[in-house]
Amino acid sequence: MEEYSVVGKRIPNRDSVEKVKGSAIFIDDIKLKGMLYGKILRSHLPHAKITNLDVSKAQKLIGVKAIVTAKDTLRERFSISPTWADKRVLENEKVRYIGDEIAGVAAVDEDIAQEALDLIQVDFEELQGLFDPLEAMKPGAPIIHDSVENNISKVIHLECGNIEEAFGNADLILEDTFTTQAQAHCSLETHSCVAVYEPNGQIKIWVNTQAPHALRQRLSLILGVDASKIHIITPFVGGGFGSKIDLEPSQAISVLLAKKSGKPVRISNTRKEQFEVTRIRHATISEMKFGVKHDGTIVAKQAKVIMDNGAYNSHGPAVLAYNNVMFSTLYRVENIKYEGSLVYTNKNWGGAFRGYGDPQASFGQEVMMDMVAEQLNMDPIELRLKNANNPNETTANKVRITSCGLKECLRQAKEASNWDEKKEKKSKYRGMGVASMTYTGGGSKGSGLNFSGATVQMNPDGVIHLLVGATDIGQGSNTILTQMAAEILAVDPGTIGLTASDTDTTLPCMGTFGSRVTYCAGSAVTQAANDLRLQILENAAEMLEANIEDLEIKGKKVFMKGSTTKLVSYAEIAANSFYKKKKPLIAHGYYNGPEVTEDFDPISYRGYPSPAMVFATHIAEVQIDPGTGKVDVIHFVTAHDVGKAINPLLVEGQIEGGIAQGIGWTLTEDLKFENGRIINPNFHDYKILTIKDITKITPIIIETIDPNGPFGAKGIGECAMVPTAPAIVNAIYDAIGVRIKDLPATPEIVFQGIKQKELR
Amino acid sequence: MKKKHQIQTTVNGQEYSLLIDLKKTLLEMLRDDLNLTGTKKGCDEGECGACSVILNGKVVNSCLVLAVEADKAEVLTIEGIHRDGDLHPIQRYFVDSGAVQCGFCTPGMILTTKAMLDEIPDPSEEDIKHYLEGNLCRCTGYSKIIDAVNVAIKHFK
Repeated sequence: MEEYSVVGKRIPNRDSVEKVKGSAIFIDDIKLKGMLYGKILRSHLPHAKITNLDVSKAQKLIGVKAIVTAKDTLRERFSISPTWADKRVLENEKVRYIGDEIAGVAAVDEDIAQEALDLIQVDFEELQGLFDPLEAMKPGAPIIHDSVENNISKVIHLECGNIEEAFGNADLILEDTFTTQAQAHCSLETHSCVAVYEPNGQIKIWVNTQAPHALRQRLSLILGVDASKIHIITPFVGGGFGSKIDLEPSQAISVLLAKKSGKPVRISNTRKEQFEVTRIRHATISEMKFGVKHDGTIVAKQAKVIMDNGAYNSHGPAVLAYNNVMFSTLYRVENIKYEGSLVYTNKNWGGAFRGYGDPQASFGQEVMMDMVAEQLNMDPIELRLKNANNPNETTANKVRITSCGLKECLRQAKEASNWDEKKEKKSKYRGMGVASMTYTGGGSKGSGLNFSGATVQMNPDGVIHLLVGATDIGQGSNTILTQMAAEILAVDPGTIGLTASDTDTTLPCMGTFGSRVTYCAGSAVTQAANDLRLQILENAAEMLEANIEDLEIKGKKVFMKGSTTKLVSYAEIAANSFYKKKKPLIAHGYYNGPEVTEDFDPISYRGYPSPAMVFATHIAEVQIDPGTGKVDVIHFVTAHDVGKAINPLLVEGQIEGGIAQGIGWTLTEDLKFENGRIINPNFHDYKILTIKDITKITPIIIETIDPNGPFGAKGIGECAMVPTAPAIVNAIYDAIGVRIKDLPATPEIVFQGIKQKELR
Repeated sequence: MKKKHQIQTTVNGQEYSLLIDLKKTLLEMLRDDLNLTGTKKGCDEGECGACSVILNGKVVNSCLVLAVEADKAEVLTIEGIHRDGDLHPIQRYFVDSGAVQCGFCTPGMILTTKAMLDEIPDPSEEDIKHYLEGNLCRCTGYSKIIDAVNVAIKHFK
């Protein structure tokens, strides 16, 4: 294992000092001269036609400076892909969920803006609302989007091998249905933006987005303005988890209001608004069928999934694709069938959320694996080891696996959790459960794009400056990317200047999602840094009249090997280049991989092209209170194959944060809908974990050193959210013999399960 | 016409005389009138703790406190706890332990930690969880926050 000076070290987030001082600027901290406050009038009905919209009374209210409606837009539709575009930033024809934007108001203060909303007259013709995807799919159900038959936005079919024959040859067949619920991201910072529209048509917008370059393109389309006229700046983001990837209508509305009023306009969601109207995790119903041999070989598996899209596409089709790919890729199974349907309902649109369809797939699959293990009287870890993926394999669904540490994850998690010992000495109401996962560790090129750019330059004084398009949303990309550059250029990472996530100055990066930044932005950074390193050596060779092979770098100086006196400093090299040779020292890197082969079928998602897959195993230990059904998660042992941990401290941070969200999704988080309205839109009634609920976590980092990843690294951001639910639910079964197949496993559900068992 | 009230308040050791709208919250006063934007608005309804400040020695959700209640009172915000340009030890340990990810909950978390240590120099794990329960974090899962707090406890012993 190669030893590095900086890569692999536990270095705190480089932004931490600003953040602990309270001087890190978030969007709401930005105050511009003459800034107005924007508020949005949203539909209070889940499904209705708009028959009349009259803003005249609101316009007369003193303090109101601008009002915009659909008439002020080009009425373009958007989504993350043009083929799925179905949402307008302002509607004046039809509303499809409680939250659809109808008008935007900018006023001198928030109170007046709010008052103005009440003065806007909207008349509706109410339509029947559809809140259950099964109802929405039925023939004869009202249509939510014109010409989308049966409200089915997307269907994915995948078949590998011969599924019927394989089930025919199985020794044992198990079938069951699993459901997972929606989830709210609950970033501590709500959606917020400040927009400025200059008289010359230049647009500047400060916004807490995970993908500024993508947002620029989308705003360009919606506003009918060249992308180059739009400058997006993302200082800091108070949490994303997928909620801040797409274009948020309020972002376009703030620009429209800024244009109309001639003043900067801020729009910030209230917490209630954030819960009520923003995207959520897609809820799913999955029918699964597994066929196995007595020796534990899974010969066939099948999933039929119905995914609740909500009112608009957002990431829906891609999330369904991931649900398919991850179900199909985990384990060496030759015969696979996947049928997925993405169904519109009149509820919050499903969007990107940590794990992106994989937690949903993992829940059903990993509980099925435990059910199989029980039937075969086989240890659940042994069953998984028997079917585990190996490095350098291509799966039946043609996904290329490069590095793979799944078996190592299983073995190390087993050992660290004292699995055998604890299974032998079982105490009442205590149990252990295991679950594994796979995910993309470098984003994917399923859409044809997976780009990230970086620029590394040496300033005239010899100091290194890094510019990256990638956005740090708290996960630490700023830190690990400078670590990578620092390693290659042999400097202290703290001395590297950094510009990130600014569309005017940084090369484009698709965004922070898909657990792609370490791999993709890292690849761009290493490319650029290696190029600059070569330039430095070439210059030094010239200045020292030596050959490059005879030189080495140490402490920002280039030495003749073996000499302590024949040297030239970075500062001298820079001065020589800039002022004598009149050449800047600058290099670019751009990643857009992997190569997409003909194995990839964009209809079935067979051959889904990710540059590297990641794997993990979680083992949960739970203690159950039989009197209340409360599940206490005592310990989580987690082994994650990350290729190479650029910064183990930050990798642990992602694992620990992901597990907390996973535990919440499994046990306590439940968005309650009533006729399309979320009736628990606050932290009191929608329960995320507090510090009191913390569980002991033993994070094990498995380094498989991916052959293509930067320093061998792959992604981690979303992974810890994926196997948490099945690990806990399998532990519950081990503890009390109650099989949970529907999330969340609230105390009521667990308690009922215990009582039902007692009655038998 | 909005009713306003003249108040004298001390924030981070500095005295201010301010004309305050009666319905303004302490959070709004700090952020808007005094430009102390380190204190964050996470929910504006007292449930997330991002707006935690120390008022007359007690930690409060400043979104639930009327600004006029700061009249003749002392307020400590995140901007006021560093020592002569250096980080306060609690701030230093939050940095070093990896307890800071997005940073939005961090000011509130640090102030509540300080308030706890001012009251109980040697808190048990139960005490820590009790004090910090009202400060939500969605990024870290709290593990490294507890690490940071434990190091701070050792420091102050």
